[in-house]
Amino acid sequence: MNDQLAEISRFLYSPVTVALYFAAAFTYLVALTTTVGRRESSVRGRRAQQVGAVLAMAGVGGHVAHEIVRGLAQSRFPLGNMFEVTSLMALVGVAGGVGYLQFVRRRGELNGFVLLAGGLLMAFAGLMYAEPGPLMPILDTWWRHFHVSLLVGAMGVFAAGFVFNTLYLLRERADRRLEAHHRVPVASGGGVDLGASEARAVGGLEDHEDDLPDAPGSVATADRSTFGLQRRGTSVLWLTVGTFVGTGLVSWVFIVSASDVTWGVARFLGINLAMVAAALVARWFVPFLPSADTLDGLAHRTIVFAFVIWTVGTIAGAMWAEQSWGRFWGWDPKETGAFLTWIAYAGYLHARATRGVRGRRAAWIGVGAFFTLMATYLIANYVIVGFHSYAGI
Amino acid sequence: MAGDPTARDEPTGEDAIESQPPPRMNPAVRRRSTATLDDGVLRFVLASVAMGWRWLVRMRTALILLGVLGLMTAIATAVPQAPNVPGTVESWLAGDEGPGAGVSEFLWTIGAFDVYGSPAFLALLLALFLSLTACLIPRIRAWVRLVRHSQPPLLRFETGAPLASFEVDAERDDVLDAGESLLREGHWRVRTSRPDDAVTPQVVGEKGLWSREGGSLVFHLSFYVLLAAIVFGQLVSFEGQRGVIEGEPGFADTEVSYWTYRPGRWFDGADHAGWRMDLEQFHVDWIRDPLAPGAGQPTTFASDVVVTPADGGDPVRATVEGNRPLVVDGMKIHQLDWGYAPLVEIVVDGQVVHSAFLTTVADEDGAFRGAAKAPAADPDVGLELELFPFAPDGDDGWPRLTGAPWDEAPLLVYHQWRGDLQLERTQQLITELDTDALDAAGVGFLRPGQEAQLAGVTVRFVELRRWVGFQVSTRPQIPWLLVGSALLVLGLVPALYAYRRRLWIVAHPGGGTGRTLVRIHGRSFQRADAFDEECGTFARALEERLARPRSRSGAGAVSSTEA
Ligand code: HEM
Repeated sequence: MNDQLAEISRFLYSPVTVALYFAAAFTYLVALTTTVGRRESSVRGRRAQQVGAVLAMAGVGGHVAHEIVRGLAQSRFPLGNMFEVTSLMALVGVAGGVGYLQFVRRRGELNGFVLLAGGLLMAFAGLMYAEPGPLMPILDTWWRHFHVSLLVGAMGVFAAGFVFNTLYLLRERADRRLEAHHRVPVASGGGVDLGASEARAVGGLEDHEDDLPDAPGSVATADRSTFGLQRRGTSVLWLTVGTFVGTGLVSWVFIVSASDVTWGVARFLGINLAMVAAALVARWFVPFLPSADTLDGLAHRTIVFAFVIWTVGTIAGAMWAEQSWGRFWGWDPKETGAFLTWIAYAGYLHARATRGVRGRRAAWIGVGAFFTLMATYLIANYVIVGFHSYAGI
Repeated sequence: MAGDPTARDEPTGEDAIESQPPPRMNPAVRRRSTATLDDGVLRFVLASVAMGWRWLVRMRTALILLGVLGLMTAIATAVPQAPNVPGTVESWLAGDEGPGAGVSEFLWTIGAFDVYGSPAFLALLLALFLSLTACLIPRIRAWVRLVRHSQPPLLRFETGAPLASFEVDAERDDVLDAGESLLREGHWRVRTSRPDDAVTPQVVGEKGLWSREGGSLVFHLSFYVLLAAIVFGQLVSFEGQRGVIEGEPGFADTEVSYWTYRPGRWFDGADHAGWRMDLEQFHVDWIRDPLAPGAGQPTTFASDVVVTPADGGDPVRATVEGNRPLVVDGMKIHQLDWGYAPLVEIVVDGQVVHSAFLTTVADEDGAFRGAAKAPAADPDVGLELELFPFAPDGDDGWPRLTGAPWDEAPLLVYHQWRGDLQLERTQQLITELDTDALDAAGVGFLRPGQEAQLAGVTVRFVELRRWVGFQVSTRPQIPWLLVGSALLVLGLVPALYAYRRRLWIVAHPGGGTGRTLVRIHGRSFQRADAFDEECGTFARALEERLARPRSRSGAGAVSSTEA
């Protein structure tokens, strides 16, 4: 019975969820290419977006079903090992990111990027796949579940923030490139000094989506001849090397921790090349992206939300440690990592509020903060095993 | 930083929104200039202090300091920390592990093995808190000024498009009254134009005036509470560890009975509660079926203990579990560690030179390691012990080691040494021998109840029990840490989510028709999206409250109202 459930949960994870996420991402991205240059998106584009929405919902449904079945198979909440944590992080990131874009910001056309990140994260979780099993009693406490759920949720939202930050950087470079070419400002200004749409005091009673300066159709990208120019804002070589090296700063963990070097190098290359591919896809989509301001604002709002959750989650972790081990903070690698991530994101928030740093440099700090998050998460789990080590890595 | 007019009282001067510079997130901070003294040295000192202060106040400095804090924490993540894993640090220094002895030597000199105890960290902490203080004092003053005196500015020129406009069958004053009461109900800070203000009659409301900045201040101030609580904790807390063997006499909470003893500076013997604790039984179990999911994982850890109060009251039975510490007289008792405790007797020349339960500690291979030290013999006898809890006899009659931790077929393997144990002279763990001055004298293995003789020494494995390592701690700082954490979270949420915004309700007479044209202007300093919704709701509420409107024209093109 449990074996069958385990089998079903694995099937729901892969291929079902992974494939649906990638398919939905692909469809949404195709839809995005049709929305540029027109005030109204084309019928074809709208239809593609609807298909994407259905696929995304199916993907989230499959993912939720996977979590439930896995929970049933092992009679416990699926947050006990690296695979489960990463998978739930992807679920929170996708459901939260898509829900936020769709219903709060009403920018559903960007869902493709969130889904792409979700698909990659789910595929990445496969590297850590563990069969369903019970949890060590020491890990089975309410505070731990609270703590881990919050941190995992925050990680998912931070991942969405990372996507927006990188898209912002790509778009911002493209704008500068275009500007240098035309010697005229391209996108809506205003963000230079105040950073993002925060400062813009616009508002209306009606739905003025079309009149907002950052509505996709109104940016000076309608002309297809400028597409190449915008894409060239970031050179392929720079992006490839940068992404490879940047990802490598984190993914070396998989070489170090592998029992056999070939397998380690294969995982390392797999992750790095997947990230490079994702970066190149994003680069190709630069002309279809909303304005840099919008992306910057999206990144800021997501990270602000995740920061609050992370803060509460870390405090909950200290409570758990006090309850389980009689010390609330011991600077063990995970605690240090959580603290470091918190400091890094505080750095991002401060940078956003510091004149002369906000904008591009703040976004880079945000990207660095996400690398800190991933690096501490992987190093603490795979390289140094502290008190917190999860069962069944 | 230049002065920011949005922060101060703005009676009536240039306060149309179009004439203001863009608002900033923070109220302006007034600074005094210092260097007015003539005296050379004093002047130099003062000027330097002022410069240092200005540097500390800058946001960029805070950013750099946070960066350094991040860097130090990164080092603490990558390099083993002596307070946590002293063993690893030693092998790094010896060059057995890590980047090599040379690099480790360098790391040692810069204090990388104890980042949080290093002078550099202390200096950084000092700089952080100085910077924080330098930043907060003017911010708090500016904030108090803002909360006490600030009045929203009147709108002089309606240049931008309104957020909403509609006509109503109502007198101008009724419109303004309705607007004012609606704003007041929503807890806005309200100002109504007077006839001599020389503006179109209007009501202004401002909100989020103090909550965002106030939240940020509470958030940053909570760091002082946390720091104070941590320092207080260093002084008055206590932590001690002690192993107890099942069924054997336990220990009393006194200074001398702990194996490791870490009192705060102000914690002394008189602060001990003096209760006594004995371990009746320790329960531990695992998933023993090798085919079940999670095979080998532990399922139970629980200690049945008896606690006798210091005043000689009735003993109390209780159970300590992994996540359920026992609290006695405000001291928390945690169950941290456990191992097997074989009772080993050593007999030399017919004399029992050693008879005690030995604590053994699990290693990675599933063996439990310990040591027996018998200085009563001459020369000394030492045993290195390896206990394999589940080593059933194989088909060939020899024990088969499985690595499983349950004691279904315990096997004690011992290495016998003779010579000088060097007790009292070298630092030794109770589970290890210092074999420098010892000579190997053979290897034997025993089942419970068996004895063996090697080179004239008889070793008896009498019985097998378990021991549990308990930690006892008092941490009076915890309530204060909770207060600090609560302030931190309660400040953080408004600091990031509250937003400062203004709303102007301007009433134009409808040219003798008895109707009034109402225009609503607004401006938000943060979170334009949330403000949009709020404005919409507000305008609808106002329109409903006034007499039935005859016509309504929604806002046309809405664009940025920034200067
Ligand atoms: C050196 C000490 C520090 C100074 C001088 C400082 C200063 C400031 C200032 C002036 C702001 C207001 C920014 C604005 O809204 O315009 C701010 C915001 C903030 N600070 Fe700090 N800070 C310090 C340390 C920290 C630390 C250690 C943290 C936590 C990790 C932190 C977290 C934050 C957060 C979350 C905000 C809100 C950012 C926003 O409004 O977007 N600060 N800080």
